[in-house]
Amino acid sequence: MIRTGITGLDEMLGSGIPRGSRVVFSLDPGVEGRLFMFRTIETALTEQKKVLIISPHSTGMAFCSECSSHDKLVNHVNDGSVVILDSRTRETINLSEKKLQSRKRAWKTLIQETINSNSIDVVFVYFDLLYEDLGLDGALNVLPAAGEKGKITTIIEHLNLEGDSLIARFVSERRFDLIISVHSAFTLVPFFNFFTLEYISWSQIPRRSVPYSTGTKSISLYIPKIIIMGPASSGKSTFVSNASERGLSVDRGDSDGFRTTVAMDLGWLHFRGFDITIFGTPGQPRFDPILPQLVRNAMGIILVIDATKPDTLARARELLMLPSASKLPLVVAVNKTDLPHLMDEVMVRESLRLRDDVPVFFISSLKRSDVHFVIETMVDRITRHPY
Amino acid sequence: MYSYVTGISLIDEVKEGIPPGSNVLILAPSMSSGEQLGYALSRPRPGEYALILTTVKRSVELLDYFSHEEFDRNRIGIIDSVTKLSTPDIADNTQIKFVSSPSDLTGIGIKFSSVVESVFNGEFSDAEDALFPPPIRFYIDSLTTLLMYRKLEVLYQFLHVITAKLKKMEAVGIYILNNESFDERTLALMKQLMNVVIEVKAEQHGEFLRVRGVIGVSQEWMPFRIHQGQLELIS
Repeated sequence: MIRTGITGLDEMLGSGIPRGSRVVFSLDPGVEGRLFMFRTIETALTEQKKVLIISPHSTGMAFCSECSSHDKLVNHVNDGSVVILDSRTRETINLSEKKLQSRKRAWKTLIQETINSNSIDVVFVYFDLLYEDLGLDGALNVLPAAGEKGKITTIIEHLNLEGDSLIARFVSERRFDLIISVHSAFTLVPFFNFFTLEYISWSQIPRRSVPYSTGTKSISLYIPKIIIMGPASSGKSTFVSNASERGLSVDRGDSDGFRTTVAMDLGWLHFRGFDITIFGTPGQPRFDPILPQLVRNAMGIILVIDATKPDTLARARELLMLPSASKLPLVVAVNKTDLPHLMDEVMVRESLRLRDDVPVFFISSLKRSDVHFVIETMVDRITRHPY
Repeated sequence: MYSYVTGISLIDEVKEGIPPGSNVLILAPSMSSGEQLGYALSRPRPGEYALILTTVKRSVELLDYFSHEEFDRNRIGIIDSVTKLSTPDIADNTQIKFVSSPSDLTGIGIKFSSVVESVFNGEFSDAEDALFPPPIRFYIDSLTTLLMYRKLEVLYQFLHVITAKLKKMEAVGIYILNNESFDERTLALMKQLMNVVIEVKAEQHGEFLRVRGVIGVSQEWMPFRIHQGQLELIS
C-alpha cells in the first residue's frame, strides 16, 4: 500500500492505494490542491519507498523548494532515494527528438531505465507538459501501466482546464484506478475547498465529495455539520459536550432549575483525520420551526433517545420526519442505558420504523468512549453514504 | 457601478473609464513602450490594487520600477515566474508569490487565488478608503512569454478561467502580446477573450496607439508617451 498521508482519505481508500495502481489528482485552476501530491510523496519517503518524480515544468531544485517538506526531499535526492526528471530532461528530449513518436520512445525508455536502475517503487508525475507534448494517450503510455499487481505505483497531478468532461472520460475509459478531482467553491475568492472521489477500482465506495482545509504542510478533511437531535432531555447536550474538544451550549434554566437548550449546542472535534463541527438541536417542540434550518446542509444525523422513556419514541419518530433528515446518514444512540430501562433494539426499530442498515447503539453519553464510538460510526457512514 | 480610469483621456472622458470585468489586450511590437503602457494602465488609483504576473522581469526589478515611477507599492501584489529559475529557495511573502516557471499554470492559478484572497482579507493595506469588492487591476506581462512555454489552446483555456474569475471579482485584466511574433489565428483567439484592444505602433516620429472595442471612442492612431509611469496622449 502507498498511503496519501491524509488520514481521513486513507481510511476512505481502505488504508491507502494498492501497489501497482495508477492514480490521478485532477486539480481545478486556482485550487490549493498540490498538498495531495506533496503529502503522498512525503509519506512514500517516510515509508522508505524509492521515488521517481517527473516534473517537466520546473528544475529539480525549484521543485524541491515548492514541496512542503523541502529539506527532507533535498536530503532524499542527495542519498539517491529520490530521482527527479525535471525541465532539463524535457528540454533535452525535445531538442534531440523532433518527431512525436521518437519523443514518446525517448521518454518511455528513460522512465523505464530510471525505474529499473534505481529500483523505484512509486512514480510521481506532473502531467501537464507531458500531456501537451505527447497527447493524452501518448503521455499515459510512457508511464508504467495501470493495474499491474505488484508493479510500480504511478501517481499523477494535473491541472484540469477541460472541466467535468475530462473527468467523465477518465472514469468511463477506466484509465486510472483512483480518480480524485480537487475543487473550490469560488465566489469572489475561493472560500471552500473540497475533493471528490470520482472512481476507485478496488472498492465499492460511491462517488463522494469531502470538504478540506489546508495548513502549510497538511490537509484536514472537514465535516462541516453533524446534527445531534432527539426529544427533550434525552441527553443531547451531554452527548455534544462529551464528543467535543471544545464547544458551547446556549441553554436557559426555568424556576425549578431545569435547564433546556434554547438555540443549539455547538461542538468541535478532530477525529480520525476529520475536523468535525457538531450541532445539537433543541428538543422542545416549540423550537421545531428552526430545525429545518439547522438540518439544512448537514452531512449526517445522530438521533439521541432516552432508554428510560419509551413514551418519547413517538416524538423521536416525528423528528425523523423532517424533510431533509430522511436523505441523510442516520445513527441512533439509545442513551441513559446506565439507568434501569426496558427499551430494546426491536422496540426502537419498530417504533422509529428504521431501515435495517441504520445502526442502533445503546450508550451512556456520560462516557466519552461510548460517544466517540457513535461519532466514529457516523464518520464511516458519511464517507460511504450515497447522498 | 465602479469604473476603472485608464489614463487614456478619450476613454475616460467618454466612458468615465472601463467597466469591471473588462479585459484589455495590448498588441505591441518589440522595442516599443507596450510593456510600460501595460504598467501605466495597471497603476492602482486610490482605493485600488494591482496584481502583476511577471514572466519577463524579476519581482525585485519591478519593485524598483514601481518605486522609481512612484506607484503605491503597498497596493501591488506580484506573481513572479522568473526568479525561481535562478534562485530556487526564495520564499513567498504576502505581496510577492513565486512560481517555478512560466509553464507552471497550476502554480500561477494557486498563487493568483492566494494573492487575491490576501487583498480581500485586507492584508495589503488597511486604508480607510477600502472599497468592497476591492477594485483590482490584474496585468499579465506577458502573454508572449506564456505562449512560448505553453500551447495556444492550453493558454486560451487557462485565460478563459482567469477572465471568468476577474469578472466575478469585478476586476479588470490587462494583457500584453507581441503582435509581430504570432500568426493571425493566435491573435484572433486571444482577442476573443478581450473587450478592448489597444494597438501600439512605433514610428520614426514617436509611438502611436489606437483603441478598439469601446463604442463612441475614436479608432484613430494617436501619439503617446509614457512619462513617470503614466500615459500621456500628445495632442
